[in-house]
Amino acid sequence: MLDSVVSFVDGSALNQWVVAAYWLWPILEIIHFFGLSLLFGGLLVIDLRLAGHFRRLDPVATHSLVPAVLLGFTMNLVTGILFFFGDPVTYANNAAFLLKMILIVFAGLNALLYYWKLSPQMHTWTAQTSPPLIAKVVGYTSLALWTAILLCGRLIPYVGEYLGTGN
Amino acid sequence: MFMWIEGTPVAQWVSLSLYAYPMLLSVHIVGLAIVVGIFMMRDLRLIGCFKGLDPVAFLSLSKFAWIGFILNAISGVMLFTSQAVSFASNPAFLIKIACIIVGMVLAGVIQSWLRADTQGGVDVVISRSTRTLAVCSLLTWTGAIIAGRLVAYII
Repeated sequence: MLDSVVSFVDGSALNQWVVAAYWLWPILEIIHFFGLSLLFGGLLVIDLRLAGHFRRLDPVATHSLVPAVLLGFTMNLVTGILFFFGDPVTYANNAAFLLKMILIVFAGLNALLYYWKLSPQMHTWTAQTSPPLIAKVVGYTSLALWTAILLCGRLIPYVGEYLGTGN
Repeated sequence: MFMWIEGTPVAQWVSLSLYAYPMLLSVHIVGLAIVVGIFMMRDLRLIGCFKGLDPVAFLSLSKFAWIGFILNAISGVMLFTSQAVSFASNPAFLIKIACIIVGMVLAGVIQSWLRADTQGGVDVVISRSTRTLAVCSLLTWTGAIIAGRLVAYII
């Protein structure tokens, strides 16, 4: 499956544009870093409250941070796709990149658990409520996964070899 | 002096070990996400986003950001030692450090002004001066990210 994605991307007009626009890469990286700060910062507040810290925060009010998290994720999805278009062969053969994508899928499934199971019952929690075990598990799992995703992303240039023709 | 720094055992380890540099960069990205992430959420709250969220919570969340800052100060200094001479003359690096210093000073001032703003209790009003500082802080951390990323391109 990945092979067909690579053969579709490699040589496409977008691939050629990202490779040719030498100034684009640092701009994409800056946006990617900005996006990860939005995503991780919002999740820190949401997940730590979910796990029972900072109990003076109204748990329902932490939902208002979700748009910031989704904005960060969207920024990074778009810039990430452009990175992939810039050097598809290297990314598709990079262990850190592949692990990062798998972990993002798990983080997404974990977020669905939050959305379906926890979010609807959070309005019953008060500052005195100790969150149920599943809330603590989902909260800490989310932070652990996203930390691992950050590490995998940062290590992409250091594992595997450079196979592309791009930047 | 920067030549001397590059000759220290720490600098030698960072530049010669296969694992040191990527390991330190990994710590540095997690620290960045914590520091900039928490401060950005705080600043956005102070300028009027996430209205329902109690701003007082950021007084204790900010302490959390300090953990990220310490991680990055240590990993940052170690990364610096390995290429002290070129970093010290890299304008992007110098701007980044200036932004971080301003950002941390602002964090201290915002912390005390926010504490004063929220002393009353129930109906918290964020003063205009605190909001202004929050805007400055947002710009400062944005600048730090931009300059920090450009360090790699300017050397």
